[in-house]
Amino acid sequence: MSVRPPTLREKRRYLLAKIEPCGMPVEGKDLYYAIHEAATSLWGDVVVAAMQPAVIAIEDGYAILRCRRGTEREFAISLSTITGCRDTRIALRIIAASGTIDTLRDRIKDLGPYVMKNGKVTSAETGDSSKNQSMETGDSSGSASTDPRDCTFDTRVYQIVHCDGHKVDVIEKGFKNTHRLFLTTADLEEK
Amino acid sequence: MKITDACVYPYPRGNSSVHRLALEARTLGYDSIVAVDTPSCETEGVTVLSGLMIADMPAKEVANRIKRGKDPKIVVSVLARDNGFNRAVCGMKGVHILRDIPCADKYAFDHVTAKIAADNGTAIDLDLSPIISRRGHAREKAIHSYLDILLLRNRFEFPFTISSGARSVLDMRPVREVSGLCSLIGMDVQDTEDALAGVGRILAPKETAVKVIS
Repeated sequence: MSVRPPTLREKRRYLLAKIEPCGMPVEGKDLYYAIHEAATSLWGDVVVAAMQPAVIAIEDGYAILRCRRGTEREFAISLSTITGCRDTRIALRIIAASGTIDTLRDRIKDLGPYVMKNGKVTSAETGDSSKNQSMETGDSSGSASTDPRDCTFDTRVYQIVHCDGHKVDVIEKGFKNTHRLFLTTADLEEK
Repeated sequence: MKITDACVYPYPRGNSSVHRLALEARTLGYDSIVAVDTPSCETEGVTVLSGLMIADMPAKEVANRIKRGKDPKIVVSVLARDNGFNRAVCGMKGVHILRDIPCADKYAFDHVTAKIAADNGTAIDLDLSPIISRRGHAREKAIHSYLDILLLRNRFEFPFTISSGARSVLDMRPVREVSGLCSLIGMDVQDTEDALAGVGRILAPKETAVKVIS
């Protein structure tokens, strides 16, 4: 099909969504399948055909998604029913909707990237840098291991995989349990 | 307490600590949460209410359990079972919320139970987790059940609450998305606001029907 002139093209809307938890490697194709499955099971084939959902890009921990203008509400509701992508548990938090991709890219710049560098989120939203510092040096109370990224919670040793302000995500050390625990700095200080 | 998530399961039932759930709740627009088996506290600017979940007990034992741990600050929720049980529980003093109706019998919640709930001020919970995480027939069944509850709610006006049933921060949804999900079962914005404020309403001291002026 040939490309139509701009005046004859369908109007589109773009949604910016944050991918939770931080640092999850999500492929665009897998995310598209997850969105499509969620939308189809909720609204059915007819509505999804009219909605035309698409994944435009995944940048810095954010996803730029597309739908047809007028179907944003249905699209947003179907996004809230997404619980996983392939075998990974994720959640999409919608941040903004816009008529252009550029506006959303500007928004990402304002928010800052939501990706991890050495276990720390480099987001501009993260204001509490002192907390991050202490977590990275492994000064959380009860650190049983010599590894600076280790901590203890509920008498078990965990490895910190993500630190964002007060938020701390940990994974139990060892190869058996790879599930994330979502904690805060207060939890690590208490235990 | 205007916007409350009526049921979350913190660690060890779930994979998120109560502090983290409270932090997430604040980000998502809630001002309070009911955390099961967790002491009440104020953390991260969010009021955490202690929740007691009663399941798989006969009505008599439920009454004894409530009598034993009578604390007005604890939000007592009972999981729905058959019709007779639900009627007994809805008429029981100290039971705040009846939940999990889609998982109970088809005729577990009828007009008589609705009337008893309205008279006694027992709230009926709308758990959004079946709508979010289930697919196909299971979700259809949940939506059908909620539509039936809302039909009875319009007639009898019993209080109702909304919960995410979150065992993880990933299961929680922003208030705006909750409003969107509730629109699937025919709830308008006003209904959603009422339901989100439901916990605050059932915990508030009841006004007496007759006021003595002097």
